[in-house]
Amino acid sequence: MSEVTISRRTVLAGSALLLASTALPTIGWAQTPKKGGRLVVAADSEPRNLNPAIVASNGVFFISSKIVEPLAEASFDGKDGLGPRLATSWEGAADGLSVTFKLREGVKWHDGKPFTSADVAFSALQIWKPLQNLGRTVFKDLEAVDTPDELTAVFKFARPTPFQLIRNALPVLTSVVPKHVYETGKIEENPANNAPIGTGPFKFAEHKPGEYYRLEKNGDYWGKDQPYLDEIIYQVLPDRTSAASALEAEEIQLAAFSAVPLADLDRISKVPGLKVITKGYEALTYQLVVEINHRRKELADLKVRQAIAHAIDRDFVVKTVFLGYAATATGPVPKNDPQFYTADVPTYAFDVAKANALLDEAGYSRGDDGKRFSLKLLPAPYFNETKQFGDYLRQALAAIGIDAQLVNNDSAAHIKAVYTDHAFDLAVGPPVFRGDPAISTTILVQSGIPDGVPFSNQGGYKNDELDALIAKASETLDPAARTELYREFQKKVAADLPLINVAEWSFISVVRDTVANVANNPRWAVSNWADTWLEA
Amino acid sequence: MSPLRRFLRTPEAIAGAIILVALFAMALTAPLFFPGDPQAIAGPALLPPFQDWSLPLGTDRLGRDVLAALLHGARTSLAVGLAAAAAALAVGAIVGTLAGFAGGLVDEVLMRITDAFQTVPSFLLALAFVSVVGPSLGVVVAAIALGAWTGPARVARAEVLSIRERDFVAGARVIGMHPLEIALREVLPNALPPLLALSSVIVAAAILTEAALSFLGLGDPNRVTWGGMIAEGRAVLRTAPFLSVIPGVALVLTVLGVYLAGEGVVETAAVRRSLS
Repeated sequence: MSEVTISRRTVLAGSALLLASTALPTIGWAQTPKKGGRLVVAADSEPRNLNPAIVASNGVFFISSKIVEPLAEASFDGKDGLGPRLATSWEGAADGLSVTFKLREGVKWHDGKPFTSADVAFSALQIWKPLQNLGRTVFKDLEAVDTPDELTAVFKFARPTPFQLIRNALPVLTSVVPKHVYETGKIEENPANNAPIGTGPFKFAEHKPGEYYRLEKNGDYWGKDQPYLDEIIYQVLPDRTSAASALEAEEIQLAAFSAVPLADLDRISKVPGLKVITKGYEALTYQLVVEINHRRKELADLKVRQAIAHAIDRDFVVKTVFLGYAATATGPVPKNDPQFYTADVPTYAFDVAKANALLDEAGYSRGDDGKRFSLKLLPAPYFNETKQFGDYLRQALAAIGIDAQLVNNDSAAHIKAVYTDHAFDLAVGPPVFRGDPAISTTILVQSGIPDGVPFSNQGGYKNDELDALIAKASETLDPAARTELYREFQKKVAADLPLINVAEWSFISVVRDTVANVANNPRWAVSNWADTWLEA
Repeated sequence: MSPLRRFLRTPEAIAGAIILVALFAMALTAPLFFPGDPQAIAGPALLPPFQDWSLPLGTDRLGRDVLAALLHGARTSLAVGLAAAAAALAVGAIVGTLAGFAGGLVDEVLMRITDAFQTVPSFLLALAFVSVVGPSLGVVVAAIALGAWTGPARVARAEVLSIRERDFVAGARVIGMHPLEIALREVLPNALPPLLALSSVIVAAAILTEAALSFLGLGDPNRVTWGGMIAEGRAVLRTAPFLSVIPGVALVLTVLGVYLAGEGVVETAAVRRSLS
């Protein structure tokens, strides 16, 4: 019997060799895309509404961006960082009152009807402006969309609107949905919200709740020879730890949005056949932010906010919480933004002694138990990292005599507690920077936002100077002057600390090395994947 | 033979007792060995066990001392386990005694309420309660007790049904004692022994429920709990399994210890009863 005993080790070594030998010929192989195949992807959530024109969020885009396309997509090398999709060109008028889009010819909806400027006009006026979470702000002055011919759409604004802002908003805000499907009945209740119809390279095929989404190839796609894949399956794996095992077992080929926990990346990068990719999320920067309730008298004091900023060791956060997959933040615009970022802002070095001195100065001396005062700290539950940073922040605050009591909530309860009930003193939030401060960043600082608007200033902060600056920037047409105003904005925010920016992070994809054309644009995970193909 | 000697004659009781004594020692000495916050950051992150003797069991994702967390976690587990069991037994005993002693409509109403609680899985009940009220130590204790009092209530009622027919109860009635006083002062103490036999099971279940709630993120986030440690370690299960294994083993040993010691007590009591 002894001659047939094969140890697990030799089998593994043998199979590794085999794998290596099959991988060898692909090195330096010409990039001729192969057609066909099924890409299986991990999905960690099942959005209730799959219409990206209404819900412009990454969870929705991850699936629906393959079905419904925007006017333009982010691009590494395109002009102004954009590549054409449904629009082939865009031109802003000098007075900021109109923007003209030339649309792509010969595009068909998945149900066979032609795509025209009427669809763009309908989407803009009936959905983006009144219904979309982000479009409500950006398109608030959109008055009409003229359609001189089937392939031209002219956006008319009631007040001057910076073309720079519209341009930056194109990839995220302008998903076009078919007018003929949505014009009857209530848009929010349209069945196409759950089974989208678009112009994209893939058609929605089916959704088995709790199991998978299936998208199939759109044979009539406008892109030449595209798409290459026959099918995309989104395998629902709500448990983050299972994505890594599924990749290793070759049940899935791609886990995007850091579905594999950061702590596992080191191990998984050594697994043959798997690649860890940090590119492809450049336009999806999340910011780790301490939200502050300025209604608390202690926190209304700038010295206390400065002390908290000094108490946070940003390098430790990046190194330990994010295991290096993040960058420290200086202000409300992330460092990797090419247009607006400025490093010329007040900074807060990690300095516990200074933080303590500031608190003493502010008049909050330590009691007999070493505590100055108590705070309620609500870490957002969406990411492991936000929760862990909550644990860290509690310790960092303890070092300066602030006793933070953690309150854990599920997502819905967290949003209600922070953004509606204001039942927090400090909260840890992950807002997203979307390429232009006016889209989702100034809202974190601006006053006068009604209660209940998530991811906005609900901390009762009011600074007339900043409000005026935000208002001025929103109607400044010259890109240079506008950029300058937002630099001023960053300085003022960093100086007055309506919130504390701690770090900026993006996501990691883990992918089988048979998947080609991965991460080739700055919003890759939420782009259309028309050019993605499988080697085997 | 003294009850203690009789108790110590069974090997499982000895094992249980040793584990429990060790556990209480851990819980009581935690503040001596690890004064200050057990969640303070003590060293480099993800240090494996037995590398650095100042951090013998290593550190977690943020660099917090696992041993300190383990000892402080023992406090939480035991405190919650004992408090929840005490609350469940107290409520169960009173409800059961009242139902059994009063009989009639009171009995019907109380027992139907008990039935209603028993039809809902106790863990679901705890889960729902904590997510509505919000997690804190007191709420967790109440949530666990909420699902655990029905057992003692039924046992107490059954005992009381037989006790209330005895002569001394009739005697108490004759001398004009208030029925409530009879129920609580005369009947209830006599109904207690079988309830106490239930207690070890309830304590063990309470410790497990607390761990499960913490695992799901519904424990008190400002305290170290074993369930919470396991939940945090789960994210790095493949790279740092010790973070989940250490509190997991502690949990298993605790539940085993409580159960074995409880069995020993029941055996001892049974032997004494049969002797008398």
